[in-house]
Amino acid sequence: MTQKAAHIARRDPARVMKLRRLGSLHQCRLSFMRILTRRMADEGWSFTRPVFDIDANGVGRAVYIAAGPARSYSLVAFAHDLPDELRSDRVIAEAWDATFALFDGIPTQDDIDRLAKNVPLQEAGRVSERELALSRANRSVRLWAHLVDALAAGNQPDPDMIDNVGYLMRTTAVYGSGKFGAADREMIADRPELQVPFQAEMLSVYLTRIFVRDLVQHMARAKGGDRAADLEPAIARRLGIGNSTGLGMAPFIVNHPVLFNNWIMAREEAISRVRSIDIATSEEIAVFLDRLARTEISVAGWRSAHPIQIAKLADLRGDLSRLRDFVGGSNLDGPEPWNRLVLWSESALSEEGQELVASLILEPYGQLVDGLAHCMADSNAGAFRIDGAMPIGQVRQLLEASFGWALKLDWQNPQNCARAWYVSEEKLEPRLGERFEEPVSDYEQPLAPARDAASAYAELKNWDDSVSIAGFLLKHPEHRHTVRRAQISRIAPYGEIQDNTIAADVMPIDMLRAKLSFFGATHFDPRSDRWVRICMYAGAPYPEELAPTNADDWVFPELPV
Amino acid sequence: MNLSLNEIEATAKRAARGAGYPWGLAEEAGKATRWLCSRDLDGCRALTELLERIDGKNIAGWLPQTGSEPWTARDGILCPLATGAAISDRAHELDGKDIRLGAVAVPVFLAPFAALLAREFEKPVEVVLGDLVLCTDGGLLSSTGAPPSSSVEASICIGGTIDQPYSHRLRADPDAKDWAALLAFAHRTYAPATDESRLRGAGAGLSDND
Repeated sequence: MTQKAAHIARRDPARVMKLRRLGSLHQCRLSFMRILTRRMADEGWSFTRPVFDIDANGVGRAVYIAAGPARSYSLVAFAHDLPDELRSDRVIAEAWDATFALFDGIPTQDDIDRLAKNVPLQEAGRVSERELALSRANRSVRLWAHLVDALAAGNQPDPDMIDNVGYLMRTTAVYGSGKFGAADREMIADRPELQVPFQAEMLSVYLTRIFVRDLVQHMARAKGGDRAADLEPAIARRLGIGNSTGLGMAPFIVNHPVLFNNWIMAREEAISRVRSIDIATSEEIAVFLDRLARTEISVAGWRSAHPIQIAKLADLRGDLSRLRDFVGGSNLDGPEPWNRLVLWSESALSEEGQELVASLILEPYGQLVDGLAHCMADSNAGAFRIDGAMPIGQVRQLLEASFGWALKLDWQNPQNCARAWYVSEEKLEPRLGERFEEPVSDYEQPLAPARDAASAYAELKNWDDSVSIAGFLLKHPEHRHTVRRAQISRIAPYGEIQDNTIAADVMPIDMLRAKLSFFGATHFDPRSDRWVRICMYAGAPYPEELAPTNADDWVFPELPV
Repeated sequence: MNLSLNEIEATAKRAARGAGYPWGLAEEAGKATRWLCSRDLDGCRALTELLERIDGKNIAGWLPQTGSEPWTARDGILCPLATGAAISDRAHELDGKDIRLGAVAVPVFLAPFAALLAREFEKPVEVVLGDLVLCTDGGLLSSTGAPPSSSVEASICIGGTIDQPYSHRLRADPDAKDWAALLAFAHRTYAPATDESRLRGAGAGLSDND
């Protein structure tokens, strides 16, 4: 690597923050799962299972302890016998195949008994400041039955079945950060191992994957007795944990503009640094080509029945073929290879392919990229305060910068405001309604920043550009949230989705994917325009295998020998 | 009830919205209630009192008129959230000057906004409520007595000293009645459950038994 100061600028927010592009993001070195596994391997975390008290029907409890250098965290798992008719991935579900809490430390028997009365109830129970996450999971019915039956009969499961589904259980919500009584983030944010966002949640899911592997083995033994086979480690490693996600993630990224900015900006900064590299060494090119080849395996196994994703996957497979041709010659030799590759991708590939390239070029450059993980949390509590001294002209400029396109839109046209985001009284499930067909607009959540920006901008036109915004806010408190966001955009240029979140053709799954890609998810599989399943940790080493040599590249399937 | 501060803030914001505040002021209500709770004051009691007073009224009549001092409200009583926000917004005009206010409802809610001023000026700021003085440096808060819930005239003064500050807390223990009242206000922001909403709104598949 020959590196000068980064001179290729970060990509323009107006380009990056479009929903179609956000809905095409892929995991990268800065994904929260990879950050966690790198740390656990580097620091030599140890893992134990002091409790596994589960009966032949699969009902009981288990505890898994992850011990880092300074502190321990424990997954307290409850396994249930769930009738099929109660199995639902939605928030409105009231029972699950398994429920979990991530405990801060090592739980006593009293702690476990307290959690046993609450965790199986999920939202209807209460946890305490000793818990960092609360979650639940449902079985993939077909893969679960197949594994139990195969292992009980002394056989290994069919690898094709495993690859078709990808996971034995899928989580349907992983709550952290003060939800339902759990510890607030500010109680734990100063711990190095939890400073990066969502590390407690990612640890909870990592431990859940171990529990699920152990549970299926336990059930196979209960059924097959001495005949039962042990699940081969190489097959177990292919199993991930699914996640089934609805609309809740969409409000999250709109409601946390600084946090979301910090994720996107960290990745954009990483892309800028790598694009600015003058010459790539043969070793660096070899790493890139290795990850590319392994990505092709991953994409080949990426299945979806949803027409939108089917079309995107067809594009991506074509992109990979073109990419393979492009890098197969001598195009990575010579100056600024990664910048040339990115510029080529912008004219030759779909957005899926472009974002894959942007993520893949980071792979050889851990030293340049990985430190940016520390910039991904939101520690700027001061951003909330409005600067009332700002002249109205400057507020207007900020609104133009993020929402210039929205100011020209006809917001009276039903196509442009067809949808309304709301919260149902049914377990507070976030939903998206048809404004002109359902009685939901009275309950609308402030999740259309573009429309609100256009509305505030129109009112601001009646005011003198040179006077301070304070007077305007006093007269128009209904625009206060919009002025706050505009001012936040000064420190968070990637904080706003620069697209219409209430258009008739909005695809909420684009917002879900943007967030899930930063978790490190793969194999996005939309079930509708507002629901997506993904896979987490497929290929990741289990604790007995976890080492610095495999803690980072596990997300790429291994090449056939 | 032992609650996380995120629960306090989220419910306070929704409750304020449910009582009729615009979103931007509801956000201020969430942050201000959380701030009070984290200084070991009963922010949920304060917000419940405020929302019960303002419920059904036109909030426009409670906004401060800032043309001359003391600031007053068209309908007589100042909303502490709108007034506090206006004080924070006008920090640049204060320049060390005090602000005199007419009668303010639940005036303890001025304290979180005084804290914003204190951070801005890097000096303590006092909220003077008759004989009682609250003082904050942005982080710590002290008071010479129990803040009143009735409407009283107030002054915001730059300066003062903090004596025996409230302890900092990361959890809150609101009275169950107050919490239930806030949840009831918040509930007004939730759309009623209907079969159509249940089927269409979340967009999930019909069966997860696959």
